[in-house]
Amino acid sequence: MYAVRNWLIGGFVMLALITAPTASRAGNVPDSINLDSLEQLYEKVTFNHAAHIRLVLDCAECHHHTTGTLVEDANCVRCHKNSGATTVVSCKGCHSDQTFSAAALREKDKNTYHMDKLGLKGAYHQNCMGCHSKSGGPTGCQDCHALKKAGQAFYNTGAYAPPQAKGNKKHSGH
Amino acid sequence: MKRRDFLKACMLCGAATTLGVPRKGWGAGSFEGYPEGMGVLVDLTRCVGCRSCEAACNKEQQLPAPDMPFDDQSVFEEKRRPTEKAYTVVNRYETKQEGGPVYRKIQCNHCNEPACLTSCFVNAYTKTKEGAVIYNPKICVGCRNCMIACPFNVPGYSYSSAFNPVVKKCIFCYDTRLKNGRPPACVEICPQEVLTFGHRQDLLKIGHERIRETPDKYVDHIYGEKEVGGTGWLYLSGVPFDQVGFDTTLGNEPIISNVKEFLGTVPMVLAIWPALFTGFHLLASRKDHGEQGHDHEKKEEGKQ
Amino acid sequence: MNRYKREGVATVDALHKGNGETKWTLKEKLLLGLTTQQYIIQALRNPFNWILAVIFAIGLPLIAGRFLFGLSWVTHSSNDYPWGLFLAFGLFGMVPLSSSSFQLGTAVEIFGRHDMEPIERLGLLNGLLGYFFAVCFLLVDLGQPWRLPYPMVVAWGPAAVLFLVAWHVATYLSVQVAEVSVAFFEWIGFPMGKRGVRKITLGLTVAGIILSTLHQGALGALFTYAPGKVHPLWYSASFQWLHFFVSSIPGGLCMVIVVSTIARKTMAWRCDERFKKNLDKLTIALAKGASMGLATYLTIKLIGVAHDNKWEHLATGWGAWYAVEMVGGVILPLILFAYAIRNNKVGLIRFCAVLTVVGVVLNRLNTAMIAFNWKMAEREIPHWREVIICITLYAIYIAVYRFILARMPIIYGWKAVEETVPAVEPATGNVPTQGPVPAAVGSYRSSVDEAISPTGYISVKE
Repeated sequence: MYAVRNWLIGGFVMLALITAPTASRAGNVPDSINLDSLEQLYEKVTFNHAAHIRLVLDCAECHHHTTGTLVEDANCVRCHKNSGATTVVSCKGCHSDQTFSAAALREKDKNTYHMDKLGLKGAYHQNCMGCHSKSGGPTGCQDCHALKKAGQAFYNTGAYAPPQAKGNKKHSGH
Repeated sequence: MKRRDFLKACMLCGAATTLGVPRKGWGAGSFEGYPEGMGVLVDLTRCVGCRSCEAACNKEQQLPAPDMPFDDQSVFEEKRRPTEKAYTVVNRYETKQEGGPVYRKIQCNHCNEPACLTSCFVNAYTKTKEGAVIYNPKICVGCRNCMIACPFNVPGYSYSSAFNPVVKKCIFCYDTRLKNGRPPACVEICPQEVLTFGHRQDLLKIGHERIRETPDKYVDHIYGEKEVGGTGWLYLSGVPFDQVGFDTTLGNEPIISNVKEFLGTVPMVLAIWPALFTGFHLLASRKDHGEQGHDHEKKEEGKQ
Repeated sequence: MNRYKREGVATVDALHKGNGETKWTLKEKLLLGLTTQQYIIQALRNPFNWILAVIFAIGLPLIAGRFLFGLSWVTHSSNDYPWGLFLAFGLFGMVPLSSSSFQLGTAVEIFGRHDMEPIERLGLLNGLLGYFFAVCFLLVDLGQPWRLPYPMVVAWGPAAVLFLVAWHVATYLSVQVAEVSVAFFEWIGFPMGKRGVRKITLGLTVAGIILSTLHQGALGALFTYAPGKVHPLWYSASFQWLHFFVSSIPGGLCMVIVVSTIARKTMAWRCDERFKKNLDKLTIALAKGASMGLATYLTIKLIGVAHDNKWEHLATGWGAWYAVEMVGGVILPLILFAYAIRNNKVGLIRFCAVLTVVGVVLNRLNTAMIAFNWKMAEREIPHWREVIICITLYAIYIAVYRFILARMPIIYGWKAVEETVPAVEPATGNVPTQGPVPAAVGSYRSSVDEAISPTGYISVKE
């Protein structure tokens, strides 16, 4: 009786270990990441990495092939058929937050495929919201990051909203 | 002496009728944009209508406070256009596709051969080598011909100003950013990277590559690649362009091509009319001498 | 004034009063030879002046408001319809009607039709006032009218059609001022000025034709900047400028017919015998010119539709409106002109002239405002203040017109004892001359009650 239970426990443990994403075996996977590149306007985003690992399971959904998963996209396979894990896995490691600066434009090798690589902000939003809109996650701006006072002033909203008195549809230029 | 003048006039007229036949300028050439000209590729499949670009433009260009907050979504119920208070606006279009509505950002397209520039009689507009179409409000007289000419209905006019009304439109953030090699404010703020900033030549490559890689996602056309001679701001869309408010009847000729025929007639008239009408006058005023001559001949015949 | 004339008050029609010794003073000339009291009484009696008074009372403050509060106060501040009634009616509408000066100047000075002299000055004045007030409308419409000289002296945009319009209208106004100054110098009593201008009249007239052809056409070419915005029936990619230029021919001639009819009816005291006697004949002559213009215009409009294959648009609602403009403003007058000219029905001609004038103005309103932005769902209806300002400015134009016609020798001949002033060749003798006379163009000889002696005139016998 105890032997069967031990075998079952061991079997489950092995199963869990095998099915667990490879990255979790690496050991230095953060559970929570602070995303604060928009700190001038928004509060920082406390990104629950661990929860996403549980929900998404496949690292490639967000990290392409950089965690060592197999490449499947037809457009990527052409070059990355045998690409494995990379040293840098974080988004900001490849996606620059100054992607349109004069220096960045100069450096972009005009002949490479990745000339069209997204910047950091675009990568976050397209990746996150792309999946959220399909899976029912948060898609509103303030669902992930609340506006600071400076942000409210920027968007003329909240405490800085214009008075609603005037008929603002009249002289719309038409 | 008078007969010679008359013959000269005839020859000039004859020459003019052959020269004056309007035809498309074979030798006129076309302008593809300055080689270092920048542009922006707008990918409508990415836009979610957050209107951050409108907010960024408003702050960067120090425009007056808006009537509604920039995160307000009710503004999408009406189709808007750029005005003196908003150099860029986003409109929402309900289409038959399942992905939801399509949002389109409208702003000056910074054409290669801008109609506004060609129509301005004080030369207030300039196409800079960085690709921006900017204007000098200090000499704008307020004729509003540029507003008539722009095929995209972009320039607004500050009618509300009594003593210094001028034309107002997106200037590609030239004074504050583009001149210094930085992207415009709207590009920088866009969370979805709808707007890709770069050299126009490169953007065309990027655009076509995107279409090639994901052909189901895009209509196989970059709007602005050729329209009205090519524009600096280019558009990719997942639905046919006419469904999202684009004018697809514009053709590929810059607006100036329509006007060139008339402009070419002008020096012809200036050159020919003097001789032509002086000739008429000389013909008309010789009458009495001529009549006498004929009568004279008749009398001669009569005598015989 | 008719009453005063019946009572025997002398009107000003020469430098000297009837007795030949004392000269009219400027004040007397301005007051039409009446005393101040008589002048005010006749002004107050005239019901038309009451209408003008009401219009000015409402409209003049609005015009002031336009400049104090900006265009947003008098228009809908439309970015989609940047050009409104001020330009569509005031500029685009009045300019083709003012083409009479180059047409009548050309007819008399270039083609030698001296029989048209009685109406030539009216044509010249019509042109000058029309252009001058078109510029006034422009000044009301421009955002910064004080910058009007900019395309002249500050910054040049020579590739723009509007640049051409600006320069030509400015130059042409000067030409017209010079041409009308002949009458002014007669009235003021400055014969040297008159002689000086007469010497350059041929050059002025040729310059007038060149400038007119180009800017009448250029106003049309302005719409080639917006090919998709003007409805295809009103737009022609290749011929827009020709449509505008050719339609100005009947427009100007018919405007002269209309104005001369009004002057004949309301200012009969001012018209001299030469004018009255020749008016009907000249009206027919003008109608002949207008018919040819209308026939040509109809043809080129049809060519324009055929050239771009726009026939299918005729079957739409826009097509019906186009038919209204063409039938009412072109085809109907054309047919009726033909009948009336043949049968000497001057009254019918005058009616057709009104139709033609309305048709030309309607064409401009359609091109610039009504059929503009035809793809957009909404038509722009002008602001009520815009409409009133247009009416007011037009009323000022009528008032100025009347002011000048009542004083300067336009519809009457100035009785003078000085020698004739031939335009080109030197004077061959004193008035009246006998025998063959060189083309003494447009000289005013001393007029007696009857028509001027036919020597020197290429008289027109029907």
